[in-house]
Amino acid sequence: MKKGKALFGISTALILLLSACSGGNNEGENEKVDKEILEKVSKTGFPIVEEPLTIKMFTGKSNANLNFNWNDPLLVWDEYEKMTNINIEWTEQVLKDNLEEKRNLALAGGTIPDVFYSANLSNLDIFKYGKQGTFIDLSSYIEDYAPNLQKFLENNPDVKKGITFPDGKIYSLPALRDNDFLAIRISAFPWINKSWLEKLGMEEPGTTEEFYEYLKAVKEKDPNGNGEADEIPYGGVNLEYLTNWLRGSFGLGNRGSGFVDVAPNGDKTRFIATTDNYKELLQYVNKLYSEKLIEQNIFSIKWDQIMANGAEGKYGSTVFWDPQSTFKGPEGGNYVGLSALKGPSGEQLFSPVSSPLFSNGQFVVTKENPNPAATVRWLDYFYSDEGARLLYMGIEGESFEVVDGKYKYFDETIEANDASKFVPWVGVNPPGIVKQDYFSGAEGTEKSLTAAEKIKPFVPEQLWPSEFTYTEDENKTLSTIGADIEKYVKEMTDKFVSGDVSFDEWDKYVKTIEDMGLEKYMEVKTEAYNRFQKN
Amino acid sequence: MEILEKENNVVAPTVHYKTSRIKKNFSANWQLYVFLSPALLYFMIFHYIPMYGVQIAFKEFYANLGITGSPWVGFEHFTRFFDSYYFWRLLKNTLVLNVYGLILFPVPIIFALMLNEVKNGAAKKWAQTLTYAPHFISVVVVVGMLVAFLDPVTGIVNNTIVKFGGEPVLFLTDAGLFRHIFVWSGQWQSLGWGTIIYLAALAGVNPELHEAARVDGATRMQRIIHVNIPAIIPTVVILFILNIGNFMQVGFEKVLLLQNSLNSETSDIIQTFVYQAGLLEGQYSFAAAIGLFESVINIVLLITVNQIARKVSDNSLW
Amino acid sequence: MRNSGLSDRTFGIINGIGVLLITIIITYPLIFVISASISDPTAVNTGKMWLWPVDITFAGFEKVFENKAIWVGYRNTIFYTIVGTLIHLFVLLPCAYALSRKELMGKKIILWIILFTMLFNGGLIPSYLLVKNLNMLNTMWAIVIPGVVGAWSILVAKSFFEQTIPDTLVEASKIDGATDFQIFRRIVLPLSLPIIAVMALFHAVALWNQYFNALIYLTDENKFPLQLILRQILILSQFDASSGVGGVVDSYIEQVKAASLIKYAVIIVSALPLLIVYPFLQRFFVKGVLIGSVKE
Repeated sequence: MKKGKALFGISTALILLLSACSGGNNEGENEKVDKEILEKVSKTGFPIVEEPLTIKMFTGKSNANLNFNWNDPLLVWDEYEKMTNINIEWTEQVLKDNLEEKRNLALAGGTIPDVFYSANLSNLDIFKYGKQGTFIDLSSYIEDYAPNLQKFLENNPDVKKGITFPDGKIYSLPALRDNDFLAIRISAFPWINKSWLEKLGMEEPGTTEEFYEYLKAVKEKDPNGNGEADEIPYGGVNLEYLTNWLRGSFGLGNRGSGFVDVAPNGDKTRFIATTDNYKELLQYVNKLYSEKLIEQNIFSIKWDQIMANGAEGKYGSTVFWDPQSTFKGPEGGNYVGLSALKGPSGEQLFSPVSSPLFSNGQFVVTKENPNPAATVRWLDYFYSDEGARLLYMGIEGESFEVVDGKYKYFDETIEANDASKFVPWVGVNPPGIVKQDYFSGAEGTEKSLTAAEKIKPFVPEQLWPSEFTYTEDENKTLSTIGADIEKYVKEMTDKFVSGDVSFDEWDKYVKTIEDMGLEKYMEVKTEAYNRFQKN
Repeated sequence: MEILEKENNVVAPTVHYKTSRIKKNFSANWQLYVFLSPALLYFMIFHYIPMYGVQIAFKEFYANLGITGSPWVGFEHFTRFFDSYYFWRLLKNTLVLNVYGLILFPVPIIFALMLNEVKNGAAKKWAQTLTYAPHFISVVVVVGMLVAFLDPVTGIVNNTIVKFGGEPVLFLTDAGLFRHIFVWSGQWQSLGWGTIIYLAALAGVNPELHEAARVDGATRMQRIIHVNIPAIIPTVVILFILNIGNFMQVGFEKVLLLQNSLNSETSDIIQTFVYQAGLLEGQYSFAAAIGLFESVINIVLLITVNQIARKVSDNSLW
Repeated sequence: MRNSGLSDRTFGIINGIGVLLITIIITYPLIFVISASISDPTAVNTGKMWLWPVDITFAGFEKVFENKAIWVGYRNTIFYTIVGTLIHLFVLLPCAYALSRKELMGKKIILWIILFTMLFNGGLIPSYLLVKNLNMLNTMWAIVIPGVVGAWSILVAKSFFEQTIPDTLVEASKIDGATDFQIFRRIVLPLSLPIIAVMALFHAVALWNQYFNALIYLTDENKFPLQLILRQILILSQFDASSGVGGVVDSYIEQVKAASLIKYAVIIVSALPLLIVYPFLQRFFVKGVLIGSVKE
C-alpha cells in the first residue's frame, strides 16, 4: 500500500499548509500604519489623496440594484472617485438575502476586504472582531479625518454613546437619520383608507376602540361597493408592524422599538413582553385576528401578494410605506396617515421610531486596510450636506434638477426604473446621513411628511439606539439566554394572536421566560442602559 | 451490500509470504491502483483533511487564530446546547420528522410491486416516466409550488376547499400540518424515482419460480407475497440501512424554506438550528458541536441497525 | 384453478386503477404548472385555472426570455453540469472498476475509507477554508469538485461491474497481453453503457439542482447558477425594514410584480432540459441500477 502512505503524506502536508494559512496577522500591524501614509492624506478639501488609492470593499446590496454592478460605471461612485482620487473596488456585492452567510464566511477565514460597507453587522460581531483585531479602532481618526461626523456626534451625545463600545473604542461608523427628518425615522406608517371612511360615514379613528369599529365596518359594509366581501380590513407585511404601532396605546415601548424600555414611574428597566399591558395588547390584536379583521395569512404572506392586494385597493388599513408610491393602483392615493391611537386606559404614544443612530454596523475598517485615515475621510463626506445630496440625488443636471427649491430626479431616471444606475442607495441603507431635502424614497413624499407631522407629538422623548453596546460577557449572555428568550417571545406573540395558544396559558408563558433566565437577561440590559446613561 | 461480505473471503489470505505477495500483486496490478487514485485523492483531500476541523467543536473559534490556534473550551458548547430551552424540541422534531419519513419507506416498494404487475408495456412505461418526473425538480421549485398551491387566498387547494363550502386552511402556518406537508411533498417527489431500484430487483426474479407457483395454484397476490417480496428483501434491507445512515439528514433546505414563526413548533430541527447559529450568526464552534452530536447519533444508529439486520435477515452493509 | 384466475383478473384491474390513480396524483401538479405558465396570472390566482390553460398568454415566457440574469444562470448551470458530470465519470468509473476486480488487494480497507465519508464530515468551516486554500473560491471548481463522487455511486457502479464484466473475459485478455488500461477502455467501457448513463444522470440531476455550494463559494453574480437566481425569484425574502424602501424609484416593487407573472414559466424553463434528456436514458435504467444488489 505504498499509495496509501503517499496519500497520507500528502494529506499531512496539506494539513500543515492549512494551519499555516489560517493563522493570521496580529494586532501590532495596525500600529505600523506609517506616519508617511498619514501625511499624504489631506485633512480638508479634495482630493483626499494625491496618488490614486484603491480600497477594496465588501458591500450588501438590495434587490433594486441587483442588476447593477457597482464596478461598472455608476454616476455617484464615478463622480466621487474623481473628487477623492480614491477608487473603490467592490470585491463582493452581496444581496441582502445572502448577506449574513457571505459576511460570516468572509470573516471566518475568507478574504477580508478593506472595508465592510453596508453589511449590517451587529454590535455583537463588531465588538467580537474588534477585540480580535480584525476591525480597527476608528476613534482616533474621527477627530482629524471625519469633521462632519465629529460635528454630528458633538450635537448628539446619545449617538456618540451608542457607537462607543465598553472598552471606549469606536469600531464602526454609523448610518444616521437626520434629527429633523422624522418621516424616515418612522419609515413604515399606519395608513387608513380615507374614501372608505367617508363612504362608511365614519370619523378618522382616534382610539383603539374606534379603530376596531372601523375595521369591522370595512369587513361588513362593503365600502368598495362591489357586492363582495373582498375587502381586507387590515393587511401588511407581518404582524410586528401592527403590534409595534399599537403598543404605544397600551403604554409600552417608551424608548422606541425593542424588547426593553423603562417603567413609567422611575428609572427601572422593564421587559415589555411579560407585562400585563402586553397581554392586553395581544388580547386586542387577537380579537382583531379572530374576527378576521386582519389578513389571515399575515404570518406567511409574500411580498408579491401584498403588492397585488394593495394595487387592487383591498386594504382598509395597513402599516406600510406611502401607498400612493408603492401600491399605486386605484386606491393608492386615498390613504391618509394615522397617528398614535389612544388606548383603553388613555395611553397614547408612537413607539416604533428609530433614534438618529439608525444602524451601527454599516462601515467597519479592517486590519487589511492600507489607509484607514483616507478611508474614514472618504466616508465622512457622506455625513455632510453636499455628500448626502451626492449619494441620494446624484449630480444636478445629470440625475436631478432643482424645481422651486426642491430636489427632483429627472423623469427619465424614475421611469426607466433604473435609478440605481445613477444612485446606489435604494434599499441599501448606506453609512452616512439621510436628509429630508435629498431623499426621494417613499418616506420623503408629501404624504409621508404630512403623516409624520401628525405623529410628532406622540414620539417618545428619549429614543434608544436599536442596540446597546455590550461587553464580551454580556454578549455571551445575550447570544445564549437572550437569543432563546427573544425567539420564544416572537413565537408566542404570534401564537397568542393567531389563537394557537390561549390566554389561559399566559402565566405559564411568563413563567417559562423567567425560567429561561429573564433575570440575567435584564441585568445585562440594565447594566448596558446605565452605561449608556452615564457615558 | 452483500458484496462487502464477499470481501471477507477475498482478503483472508494465508499469512506467510504476505509481503512478497503484496509486492507481486502490486507490480502485476499497479494500473488498478492508478484507477483508484483520483477517487482516493478526492476523498483524502475533501473529506479526510477537513475532519481535523472537528476540533472547533471543543474550541472557541477565533478566525484570526485559525482552527488549530483557537483556545480549547472543552464541552462548553455541548452543555450550552443541551441546556438550551430548545434542545428537546429540536431533538424531538428531528426524530419525528425522520421517523415519519421512515414509516413511509415501504411506499415506493409497494408502488414498485404494483408497477411490476402492470402487464401492458406501454402503460407501464408511461406511468414510470410520469412518476419519475418530479425528481428532476429542485427543492427551491418544489417549495415555490407548495407556496403557490397552498396559499389561503390564491392557491388551488384552498380555492377548491372554498368552492365546496369549506373554510380556507392555513397550511403553511399550521404547526400540526407542517410534518405532513413536508413528508408527503417529499413522497411526491421521490416516489417514482424510488421504485427504480426495486423494479430492477424485481426484473431479476427467476421466471421459473413464478411458473412453479402458478402450477401450485398460487394467485397473483400470493405470488407477490411469496415470490416477489422475498426476492427483493435483500435490496430492501440494504436500502433501509443506508437510509438510517442518513437518518438525521432530512432535506434541511426544504425545512428552512418552509419555516415560519407559527410552524416552528414542529419545523425547528437540529440542522436548521445549526444553519442559524453557524452561518447566520457566525457561532461556528457552537454549530460544529451540534453537528458533531448529530453525526454521533447517526453512527450509533447505523451500527445498531446494521447489527440487527445482520442477525435477523443475513443482509447487512458489513 | 378457475377461481384463482378470476381473482387474478380482478387483481389486475384493481392494481391497474391503483397505478393510474397514483400516476394522476403525481402528474397533476406538473400539468398545473405547465398550464399556469401560459395562463393569465389573475385566472391562476383566483382559481379559474385548475387544469387546462385559461386566457392563454405567453407573457411569462417573454419576461423570462428578457431576463438577463436567468440566461446567465442557465448558461452557467449547463456548463457546470456538463463539466461536473464528466469529471464525475472520470473519477467514478475507474475507481469502481478497480474495486470490482478480485486481484485488487486491500479492497476492504479502501471501501471502508470510502464508506466512512458517508457518516462523518469535518463541517462547513474547514471545508470552506480548504476550498479557499486551494484557490477555488469563486471559480467553477468550487461547484464541481467538492462532492464530485460519493460512496453510494461507487458502491452501485462497483456492483454493476462485478455482475456484468465476466472474469473470464478479463483474464483471457490479460493472457493475450492486454494491460488494465486497455481492458478498461476496450472491454469494460463498451459493456457499461447502462451504468454510465445512469450515473451521469444521477449526478447531473444533483448538480443541476444544487445551490448550497454556489451560495457559499461563489461571489461573482456572473457565475451564479440558475438555482440561485430561481431562489431570488421564487422565494422572495422577507422584506427588511431597515433597508428603507424608496417608493418612487423602487424597482424592487416592480420585480415583485414581475415575479408573480414569471413564477411558473421559470419553473418550466428550469426543469425542461432534464425532462427532455431523461426519456432517452430511461431504457438503460433497469439494466443500470443496482443489478448488483439482486441476490442470486
